[in-house]
Amino acid sequence: MVFSYNWLQSFFQKKLPRPEKLAELLTMYSFEVSEVKKTSNDFVLDIDVLPNRASDCFSHLGIARECGILLNSKFQIPNSELVEDKNLKVKDFVSVEVKNKMACPRYTARIVTDVKIGPSPKWIRERLKVCGLRPINNIVDIANYVMLETGQPLHAFDGDKIEGKRIIVRFAKNREKIITLDEEKYDLNENILVIADAKKPVAIAGIKGGKIPEIDKKTKVVILESANFNPRIIRRGSKKLDLKTDASWRFEHGISPNLTEIAINRAAYLIQKIANARAAKGIIDFYPKKVLPKRVRLDLDYAERLLGVKIPAAEIKNILKGLNFQLIDFRNQSMMVKVPTRRLDISLPEDLIEEIGRIYGYQKIKAAFPTVTLIPPKRNINLFWEEMTKNILKEAGFTEVYNYSFISENDAKVFGWHSQAIIELENPLSKEQKYLRPSLVPNLLKNVQKNQNYYDEIKIFELGKIFEKPKKEKRILAGILTGDMFYQTKGVIDLLLNKLGISDVYYKEFKLTNEEIKKNWWYPKKSADIIINGERIGFLGEVTSKILAEFKINLKVVYFAVRFDELSKFVSEETIYQPISRFPAAVRDLAVLVPRGTKVVEVLNKINTLGGSLIRDVDLFDIYEGEELPRGKKNLAFHLIYQAEGRTLKSEEIDEIHQKIIKALEKNPNWQVRK
Amino acid sequence: MKMAKIDLKALKNRAENEIETAKDLKELNKIFKKYLGKKSQLTEVLRSLEKLPKAKKVKIGQEANQLKNFLKIKFAEIAQEIKEKVRKEVEEKEWIDITAPGKKPALGHLHPLTQVKRKTEEIFQAMGFSVVEGPEVETEWYNFDALNIPKDHPARDLWDTFYLKNGLLLRTHTTPVDIRNMEKNQPPLRIIIPGRIFRHEATDASHETNFYQVDGLMVGKDISVANFKATIQEFFQRFFEKPVEIRMRPGYFPFTEPSFEVDMTCLNCNGKGCPACSQSGWMEIVGAGMVHPAVFKNSGLNPRNWQGWAFGMGLDRLAMMKYKINDIRLFYSGDLRFLEQF
Repeated sequence: MVFSYNWLQSFFQKKLPRPEKLAELLTMYSFEVSEVKKTSNDFVLDIDVLPNRASDCFSHLGIARECGILLNSKFQIPNSELVEDKNLKVKDFVSVEVKNKMACPRYTARIVTDVKIGPSPKWIRERLKVCGLRPINNIVDIANYVMLETGQPLHAFDGDKIEGKRIIVRFAKNREKIITLDEEKYDLNENILVIADAKKPVAIAGIKGGKIPEIDKKTKVVILESANFNPRIIRRGSKKLDLKTDASWRFEHGISPNLTEIAINRAAYLIQKIANARAAKGIIDFYPKKVLPKRVRLDLDYAERLLGVKIPAAEIKNILKGLNFQLIDFRNQSMMVKVPTRRLDISLPEDLIEEIGRIYGYQKIKAAFPTVTLIPPKRNINLFWEEMTKNILKEAGFTEVYNYSFISENDAKVFGWHSQAIIELENPLSKEQKYLRPSLVPNLLKNVQKNQNYYDEIKIFELGKIFEKPKKEKRILAGILTGDMFYQTKGVIDLLLNKLGISDVYYKEFKLTNEEIKKNWWYPKKSADIIINGERIGFLGEVTSKILAEFKINLKVVYFAVRFDELSKFVSEETIYQPISRFPAAVRDLAVLVPRGTKVVEVLNKINTLGGSLIRDVDLFDIYEGEELPRGKKNLAFHLIYQAEGRTLKSEEIDEIHQKIIKALEKNPNWQVRK
Repeated sequence: MKMAKIDLKALKNRAENEIETAKDLKELNKIFKKYLGKKSQLTEVLRSLEKLPKAKKVKIGQEANQLKNFLKIKFAEIAQEIKEKVRKEVEEKEWIDITAPGKKPALGHLHPLTQVKRKTEEIFQAMGFSVVEGPEVETEWYNFDALNIPKDHPARDLWDTFYLKNGLLLRTHTTPVDIRNMEKNQPPLRIIIPGRIFRHEATDASHETNFYQVDGLMVGKDISVANFKATIQEFFQRFFEKPVEIRMRPGYFPFTEPSFEVDMTCLNCNGKGCPACSQSGWMEIVGAGMVHPAVFKNSGLNPRNWQGWAFGMGLDRLAMMKYKINDIRLFYSGDLRFLEQF
């Protein structure tokens, strides 16, 4: 909210510090001043009044009060001594009926007559302009002026335009309508509080006035309204109508009902002075339940314990008195504090301690490390494996990305995710972020699309949450490699799982459901399930050209995803040293020509079965398909590593097993060992 | 049989001369064979000694053996010299252009936010804080009500919220985990809560729809504002690896009382004032305060028994300050030209 420096000055006889200095002071002890701007003959202070202080500081008076205590200067409350005309009685002009006292705890009205409508004096116009309000006429300007001064929104009706001389505060009826001062039409309903005359709503209570009883050049009788409305009702109404005003803003934050009278007297006084009006005798005041000052007990030891500094009792008393708090019953390090009703923010001892702390100055509190029992932090094992995984992938050449937790409407369409299956946002900012991501793949594909013009090869991964209906969230590790990289991807997964201490891993042909085949995301014959301890934990596969086309990607893409929460069940930090054999190993090569459809694992199984414990390792070092080979065949080349645990293998012994293996392989008529 | 008359002296001269003029090891080897090989004159002389009379045998034998030893040493010397020469030549000839680029193994990169998060966790863990996490999809209770932010209260406007059609919402801070943690654990407590959070805000260089926050919570019998000040100052000094001043001023959060905003010396100008800090010399970096009694109550703790502080700060902002990044959106862009710089 913006404040006029001159206006603030007007409350003090003593000169205020220059605007920048004042801004600094307010920032450190009250509210941040985000900007000080010079105007032709004033300064505008943009003060971020904290929302809990709206009740007393959405006003120049409030900020001046803050300045007063910070500068230790006396400030003067503006004059509001109006002279009432005994011959005019308020009751003859209007009656007020409040239907719901919960919605309107107080309604105060005054009458001024014989007003001379015209422009307001320059000083009022200037102050309004500095605060961003447009001057209209003296009556409206004064109502606004008093709001900016006291924080109490006021409204002025043309008394002659109020039917039946009656003001009724009630909830609107369904299908009632109103046209507001700015000539906007609003449909009202039972949740919206209105000010009505005998027949119709004439204002949306606490939000905006209606067009009909508007003050105009001919206005003679003014009904001044200064009321207090329930913050929640105003807030709900304002949201419902999508209408925020200076008044609604103040009401929804809450104001003390005791302010209405102060403000209305000040406004009537100014109108009398400026518009040559006569003020009718009396005040209409519906105020069934007077709000009294709260009493809060403050324990000085607690204040010391919470702030971590001992502030002398005398200083604490001074601070509280300076804020117009009354101290009663001080004994044994404890006092009862009577809080002015305008301070809606204060109801607990902690609230008082905040006041003491800030006025004393937080910067005066010396930093001191806590004295605590030495309890070592708990190890977060989830986090440990996450970080370990990220490190491994980084070392394997992958770059980590962070993508949005959202996917677009189009992504959902491309992947065929029905809105029944994925979680939709109630209030998305755009179609691009309509759903929570049920998979990391769409955004990773977007990363590829974005980077493909700058990189020949892309290796990226993400570890993040995905979301599933009804309200599940799961951690997923997913990555992408571009190019013909199935085996590289599989190798990376093997490496990762190995480093995470997982040994029981195998890959199973990917079984698509009919649904999935239709969706056509992966090439079914170029995809595999990752099985750990018999449980399906993840997946890898090549993305179909159909999907790639949707994402405008012109590289081949292999994708992998692992359910990280489930993976965590199998990880292990344990490593047990295997003694290194003291006896030499012998390597023999073996090349087998097999049909293209033969799986490596079939050949491997044969070799391992026959080799038994004497084969330490079989290493497939080449798969070759080419013109030189017979059609439909491929060549598999292995290193067989022979080694015994307790002795040196003799050459003849190795030859014997090797021959046995060859014979066994050639039992299959389609397999041919190349010699 | 008459023994061939050999002039050992002449032999010595000849051999010495040839050895000294040998060009390389190969030639030297030949010379060696010639003078000391099985068929060399010297070997022959030694072999024929037996047949000589004793007196002569001793004399010639002595002379021949002396010559043999002399030549052996000579050969070794020259061989060493030649080797040295060759080594020097090679050294002169072979060189490496050390200005040509090295060959890098292809490592990947960790996201800058991962790195900043790790560093943050490391510092707080060293001060005895456990790292805990919580769900990204939250209930209204944990995200708001339990934190003393009632429905229909303007304080809710401080957090622009994404609501979900399933009645839940995307957490607007990691503070709900404070409650979740206090429900399950008796104080004393020291935790930090890093995690992804969400705000329903139009994006620009300093606003994103999802970003990262770390919340901190310390609860005990007498945990004070002064303790908070020391802890957060220590954190910043370790994080930025230089002396950093902090200042606290009044703030407002419904879940803390008193509440404060924490500013840190502007790293850009070291507090002198610059455009990055609107000439103030300070950067607003943390929101904090003493845990509100209502929050203890809502977590099932008795506020009469416990007190403590909580804070929240943006990891993205920390990363932006640390690496001088000017646009928060870069973190979520997936742009490798950005990511590969970390």
